[in-house]
Amino acid sequence: MTAAAIPWRIWRVDRDRLIAATFATIIAVPLIIFVLVPLASILKKSFITPEGIGLGNYARYFAEPKFLEIVGNSFKVSISATAVTIVLAYGFAYAMHRSMLPYKNVFRIIAVIPLFAPSLVQALGLLFLLGRNGAINRTLDLGVEIYGFWGIVLSDVLYSFPHAYLILSAALAVADARHYESARMLGATRARIFCTVTLPSTKYGLMSAIFVVFTIVITDFGNPMVIGGDYNVLATEIYNQVSGQGNFRMGAVIGMILLIPAAIAVAVEKLVARRQYSVISEQSQPLAVRRSPRFDMLMFTYVAIVCAAILLVIGLVVFASFVQLWPYNLSLSLRHYYFDVQNGVRPLWTSIWVSLMAASIGIVFVISGAYVIHKFSNRITRFLYFLSILPAAVPGMVLGLGYILAFNDPSNPVYLIYGGMLIIAICNVYHYHAQGFLLATTSVKQISGTFDEASACLGAGFLRTMWKITLPIIWPSIISVGVFFFMRSMVTLSAVIFLITPSTQLAAVSVLLLDDSGNQNQAAAFSVCIMAVVAATLIVFHSLLRLCGVKNISLIR
Amino acid sequence: MFLNLRNITKRFGSVTAVQNVNLEINEAEFVCFLGPSGCGKTTLLRNIAGLETLDEGEVLLRGESLAGVPARLRNFGVVFQSYSLFPNMTVAKNVAYGLECHRWKRDAIEQRVHEMLTLVHLNDQARKYPHQLSGGQQQRVAVARALAPQPAVLLLDEPLSALDAKVREDLRAEMRDLQTTLGITTIMVTHDQDEAMEMADRIVVMNRGVIEQVGRAAELYNHPANRFVAEFIGRMNVLHLAAGADGKPSLAGTTLHAENISTDGPWVVGVRPEHIQLVRDCGDSANLITGTIERGVFLGNVTRITLNLDGQKLVVEVQGELQIPPRDVPLTVRIPPDAVKPLGRAEI
Repeated sequence: MTAAAIPWRIWRVDRDRLIAATFATIIAVPLIIFVLVPLASILKKSFITPEGIGLGNYARYFAEPKFLEIVGNSFKVSISATAVTIVLAYGFAYAMHRSMLPYKNVFRIIAVIPLFAPSLVQALGLLFLLGRNGAINRTLDLGVEIYGFWGIVLSDVLYSFPHAYLILSAALAVADARHYESARMLGATRARIFCTVTLPSTKYGLMSAIFVVFTIVITDFGNPMVIGGDYNVLATEIYNQVSGQGNFRMGAVIGMILLIPAAIAVAVEKLVARRQYSVISEQSQPLAVRRSPRFDMLMFTYVAIVCAAILLVIGLVVFASFVQLWPYNLSLSLRHYYFDVQNGVRPLWTSIWVSLMAASIGIVFVISGAYVIHKFSNRITRFLYFLSILPAAVPGMVLGLGYILAFNDPSNPVYLIYGGMLIIAICNVYHYHAQGFLLATTSVKQISGTFDEASACLGAGFLRTMWKITLPIIWPSIISVGVFFFMRSMVTLSAVIFLITPSTQLAAVSVLLLDDSGNQNQAAAFSVCIMAVVAATLIVFHSLLRLCGVKNISLIR
Repeated sequence: MFLNLRNITKRFGSVTAVQNVNLEINEAEFVCFLGPSGCGKTTLLRNIAGLETLDEGEVLLRGESLAGVPARLRNFGVVFQSYSLFPNMTVAKNVAYGLECHRWKRDAIEQRVHEMLTLVHLNDQARKYPHQLSGGQQQRVAVARALAPQPAVLLLDEPLSALDAKVREDLRAEMRDLQTTLGITTIMVTHDQDEAMEMADRIVVMNRGVIEQVGRAAELYNHPANRFVAEFIGRMNVLHLAAGADGKPSLAGTTLHAENISTDGPWVVGVRPEHIQLVRDCGDSANLITGTIERGVFLGNVTRITLNLDGQKLVVEVQGELQIPPRDVPLTVRIPPDAVKPLGRAEI
């Protein structure tokens, strides 16, 4: 160790710190610009009245009976749909993990199919089935009226079902066999075991699923647009006010109202999740499910009915896309795939481009964010963590509105990309940032911290460790993060509805517009294309991972 | 002095993990940090490795301070308890990794990898991935990887504790031989006193962040500095002596003669179970103590008898098998005066 070597050493030390600081800045700046600034803009807008700053806007709208009715409608729909979804999904997940029913692999795929389609596809399918000209009314002439409350609830149940199922499935997948054996040895019946062991051990998953579903439903926009009829909810009202009447002030107030339940849900969930320990310990024994013909048959029937409902609604959309004119002329035809109205097939390509951009941006920012935040724990990274999961509490409509308010302004530097595909891709990344970030964090955490230390002790710097050790180990997770952002960007409607321009129209928006202009069959065809792209992507990457011998990564989130 | 630890203190929040540790380590010496979990031994090792920044004090290598030198520039070989071999690289690539970081030439790397794997008898496994090896093999690769860049010091963090008992014993001897052959200064952290006694030149006994005693195994065993060391290294009867009628220390009513014991009590002394003798015929020799038998067990090489002496327990170990008398039968033993080690005053 010579004296001359010391300055070089200090330079090397600083270099690693510098790299970490650079990474932190690279992820912090966009988080602030694309999450905090839009939210601040909405907050500001909601308080600015013609008479100055104050609660005037809130006072004015809350004095309107019609507005209060819309708020009430939103809560009624959300609470009903959440209750139904949770019960259905819990039963489904329970059957999948705690019984020996056959064809589990098939059912597992069917359960998540609604994730492949924009939210309004469920409503579209329901209309084909139960609408005024739907299959039921035409054949049985029952006069079923699906527009309104029940339509929204039913389609949102279908839409949010896979989200709830995935969360509850994760909660029910792990179980400590010792608790179940003890309960059985003590003479508990199946029902009693369910109430005393199963439910308590999954209560955190249950809570999380409830909040996620509630947030999805109250902020869902596609289904109420298609099937809501005269039944207005907050999400459609914000669209009508902003896009239809340019009433940004009322939009901002509704945005703030939509933020509240979602924020409460996320905060409570985080608080609860923090206490989630010791359900499973190292000594836990995995639960071996035993065969029980009668129970398995019962569960099979239940799961089959739920899957049939999902398939029926989606299947009708697919079928309607291939017939001359549903429901009048059912002869098969490909004419709806010519896409000869509006922008033709271009929105589909735009969607694919935007989704690819979102996937790339998401991978870079989310993975480096997770890595830096996990590796360096200090006040700054804790703030970055907060910013990273903050979007979970921000409904897409609100984020999109925030983007208009903040960036549709030539004096803002972001205005340069405003109106283009990039801003839509960025909006999608930050809309789904929390989930993608948590996905990445889980995988970064899975690499033992001692790999970093071992690498450092052997003389490697930050970048070499990242390049040679971290990335080669977590690449399957990187792919799953990319696929996640791609999938969500393909189907999302809520945030981007405010950001599209005629030249950047997206596929999901096309479906909405086609439906709105009475071209249900073409809307169905467009939906099928979206679903096909998503499914194809999943199949390609799933096969790729399998080919590389990766088995334990799930691409569907 | 080769490696010098000066006034090292490390805190985690309000907890002081290592407190004012001073230690000098010679070149080519094998030193063990021994202590119960949470005693600060691993923290101390991580501070030496540069994986933690110390709050006070400094580490000196050949007289030069390592303050501000991060782990990757210290060139200390570190072997972790969890092996932490890179799962995405073959055995050979793992061993080569440190050499690549130090910018060795390609053929020099190849030669060194071969040399290191020969040293740990794993040359035939070079192309395998870590998960294809047994725990013992993985740990040997980890040692080869740590030694490859010719580190100044080898740091071992409980390297054997994740292994099966049999493998562990084989590896102890193998690693000690390797260390002697290479003459590399080595620090190993362990909570296993057998491991420390078998492998180390010197043992550093730690407790609650401070060093209790430093010495060779025999020194620690025969002359423990205090009660903690006495009880941690081997078995030790800890006896509270009261002052008898004549003011001399007494145990169960009998005056106990002992060497090196201070004049005023009350006292706490330690007696190794194997130093206590069974007395067949009661002559008039001193230090004869009678207690009642509480329990006797045969353990193969020794028979262990637990006596009750007016409420205090006394464990006696006798070589070989012994007819164990039934419970509550009185038994007289002799405690040789030179077997009584003072462990400080009773109030401690």
